[in-house]
Amino acid sequence: MISAISLANYAVNGLVEGLLIALPALSLTLVMGIAGFANAATGDYMTVSAYAAVTMQKALAASLLLAAAGALAAGVALALLCHWLVFRPLARRPAVTSLVASIGVALLVRSVLTFFAGHDQQSIQTPLMRAWNFGGLRLLPTDLAVAGVAVGALLAVFALLHGTPIGRQMRAVADNPDLARASGIRARRVMLALWAMAGALCATGGVLYGVKAVIMPDLGWELLIAAFAAMVLGGIGNPGGAVLASVLLGLAQELSVPLVGPSYKIAVAFAALLLVLLARPRGLFGTALAAR
Amino acid sequence: MTRIDETRRSVCLAGAALLGSALAPAAARAAQQDVFRIGALNSITGSGASYGPGMQKTILRAVSEINAAGGAGGRRLQVYAEDDQTKPEAAVLAAKKLLDVNRVQAILGTFSSGVTLAVMPLTNAAGAILMNTSGAPAITTQNVAGLSWRFEATNDRYGRAFAQAVAQGGFQRPAIMAFNNASGISNTQGFKTAWEARGGKVVASVVYEPNRPSYRSELQQILDAKPDVVVMGSYLPDTTLILREWYQSGQDVKWVMPGWAGNADLVKALGAEVCEGVRVVQTIANEGSPALAHFDEIYKAETGKDGSTSIYAAMCYDMVVTLALAMEAAGPGATTAQVNACIPKVAGGQGKPVDSFEAGREALKQGPVSYQGASSRLNFDASGDASPDFSISMIRGGEIVRQGRVSV
Amino acid sequence: MASYFVAVATISLIYMLLAMGLNLQYGHTGLINFGHVAFFAAGAYASALLSLAGWPLPASFLAAMIVAALLAWPIGLLALRLADDYLAIVTLGFSETLRIVLQEEGWLTGGVQGLPGIPGLFAGLGPDARGLATLGALALCNAVAFLLLRHLVRSPYGRLIRAIRDDQTAVQALGKSAARPKTRMFMLGAMLAGLAGAFYAHFIAFLSPEQFVPLVTFYVWIAVIIGGAGSMAGAAAGSVLLLAFLEGSRFLRDALPGVSEIQMASVRLAVVGLALILCMLYRPQGLFGRRKG
Repeated sequence: MISAISLANYAVNGLVEGLLIALPALSLTLVMGIAGFANAATGDYMTVSAYAAVTMQKALAASLLLAAAGALAAGVALALLCHWLVFRPLARRPAVTSLVASIGVALLVRSVLTFFAGHDQQSIQTPLMRAWNFGGLRLLPTDLAVAGVAVGALLAVFALLHGTPIGRQMRAVADNPDLARASGIRARRVMLALWAMAGALCATGGVLYGVKAVIMPDLGWELLIAAFAAMVLGGIGNPGGAVLASVLLGLAQELSVPLVGPSYKIAVAFAALLLVLLARPRGLFGTALAAR
Repeated sequence: MTRIDETRRSVCLAGAALLGSALAPAAARAAQQDVFRIGALNSITGSGASYGPGMQKTILRAVSEINAAGGAGGRRLQVYAEDDQTKPEAAVLAAKKLLDVNRVQAILGTFSSGVTLAVMPLTNAAGAILMNTSGAPAITTQNVAGLSWRFEATNDRYGRAFAQAVAQGGFQRPAIMAFNNASGISNTQGFKTAWEARGGKVVASVVYEPNRPSYRSELQQILDAKPDVVVMGSYLPDTTLILREWYQSGQDVKWVMPGWAGNADLVKALGAEVCEGVRVVQTIANEGSPALAHFDEIYKAETGKDGSTSIYAAMCYDMVVTLALAMEAAGPGATTAQVNACIPKVAGGQGKPVDSFEAGREALKQGPVSYQGASSRLNFDASGDASPDFSISMIRGGEIVRQGRVSV
Repeated sequence: MASYFVAVATISLIYMLLAMGLNLQYGHTGLINFGHVAFFAAGAYASALLSLAGWPLPASFLAAMIVAALLAWPIGLLALRLADDYLAIVTLGFSETLRIVLQEEGWLTGGVQGLPGIPGLFAGLGPDARGLATLGALALCNAVAFLLLRHLVRSPYGRLIRAIRDDQTAVQALGKSAARPKTRMFMLGAMLAGLAGAFYAHFIAFLSPEQFVPLVTFYVWIAVIIGGAGSMAGAAAGSVLLLAFLEGSRFLRDALPGVSEIQMASVRLAVVGLALILCMLYRPQGLFGRRKG
């Protein structure tokens, strides 16, 4: 029989992994809500940012903080570049066009990355610290840092969305693009803000992932499905929903390990998603969408 | 013309251009007579991408060395390189291209068991030699044409080597963690069989999925059973992650892992302290093997990394040398089948031990040789599987220190 | 030389069956199916396992199609409740779950060790003749499927399907059931994927769960979109183009002598990605699609 402490440990794992997924999930849902399509390149924005951090550490002997700042700049720059070159010209086309184009962007970004950086694994060097042990419940300082930064990033995004004029404009565009345009909100500024935010979220996620795990070229692509699932579970276009859903899916997944084992835990996450959608077909907080 | 017709026409023209560019080089190559064509089919992308590029560079470099030494059996080696993406379907198309367009007589360097098993029917049908580093047991049983040569030790041999390492360490309660693929599972199951044959018991067993951001839950399952050692069937990226999470959790357990995971790259990623005391089991060449030293040199020159980080690349080096020696033994103008028949004569364990192509070429004038490779002494058995010795090493102060040698 | 092109053509035609099935589900019925590879896998494993157990190939192929259709039935029912992107992730989750089951239940499927030695089609013929015969059989199946589907699409039933896709509420207000046609189209599309899977299994002769990852579904989607969703000819053309790019990029090396073999893998991927972007920028409706407003 499994002990409560053991369960608590699994729950902590799930919570941290969920918070990590919350960053790309939030990026996906913001882009979906405001720009209207699913950006399959989200994962590769994360990968590029992670590699940027590694490069700064190795080539410029930068501190962790400086490397993270470099990664942030890289992620934002990449997101804005792709918006300018690919997604802005496609703005008036059906959503599936942008989706397929974003798959193209993902492949192109990854291939440019591997052309120069190769296929070896990389690590972001951080000091190793022992876990704090509370009678069997282990908390890794690294995990706490990852969770803390993730929560901080999420709070910053929410503060921006609800407390600043540009944030209000972004939410207006998400709710009703035509009305927003009619009331004079300039799409261009909103889009720049959106992609900067999306890029920053991906960059944060990429660096945190790099600190916690190992960096390989497929890093972001592998996370994409989990992020997409979280976005849908939370209700497409709902930022709070995406974050909550990420955490819930992470918890469901890790808590199922003692029951079904590490391989089936991924199936459990999908089963949980399905059950919720059967009860609430628009996700936890989704509202009926206007015709797209 | 309507827009649609214009588009269709430009598509057809583009397709014709692609076809044309494909046919032209093949036509030119058909003109060569004294060439033995080799395909280097490696995992440049996909899950094997940690090892594939190094393996391919090694093959290319080894081929140029053989050619610089004057070729083998009166022939120059010509190599065509392809990426199998670590996927059986992509491998089949790449192998077909190599066999049919480039007319290769041997394919070297397939890594994943899925790739090797998908390519084997093609090489068998084409009468081409297939040299691989894959772990699945089915490779032995599917080797019906005798054209496949496995440079990697089979899982039962690995299992016995792991069991020796665990026994030598005085451990009583081993657990196993396996990467969910043919090689990871086969090797750890081989250990379980060997350990239980000694009367021991495995206290916990976990199979984990690739590409996860964290393995803490899997680790927790293992550590909850309180083992004293964990035997791993793993690769470098997942081993890095697992060991990092283990070390930070502060729980006490020792590690036994294969050499392609426990090496200089692991120390570089994690630092000496985390890797202290990790036991590494690897197929091994003879003491102070010149082949190994030479491979080490060229691997460093090609990739900037230590040769110990990729036993698979060492196997690829041995593939080229073995093939060249077999060509030499078969004589000028030999068919692929005749070259294939000479492979046991140059790497089968009978004959004078040699450790380089030049030395082997000289010695072949007197009789059969036994090439002592960089990855192992080879000694192919009747099924085309290498039967190497193993080394047990320990990582001490960031260095991999040899503790002993086992024969299984 | 010819054998390589026969192999590429064979894979193209397998993707063509997949693309036509997906086109029926998405282009005509409006169902966003991101789990298409599941039915491909089901057909492949069904036919492989049955033929290894001694069944004759025509029977195992038929069984593959039936298994895929049956598997699609509950998912098709779900499609009625879930819209667009919600259906997308559920179907994706379904295909991943099936892959995990194939991987874990090794007693049935061989698990990660895979299923080697699957018998090929036309075993009595020599290797080159077998390749051509398999290609011929595939071409025949594709032609039959193409004609049948085109007939279906142009029939009154086909018009009903498209009406449901465009405005389900209006159709239901007219008293017609939307549920059964949608489910049937979903199952029919899955059946084609199952047939494609059977051909695939006996062509590659080795199956493992790692061959049935979501990337395959994405490739089929790319073929459908580039060919023009809603057009069967488009699905066919899209699959040929897809393979032309994936395999044709292999021959780029001669055009770029300064680039190492290792880097060529990156260049190949870049070419595919760039092609997708350019296609969406300059011809988003695909080859045969009609431009929407």
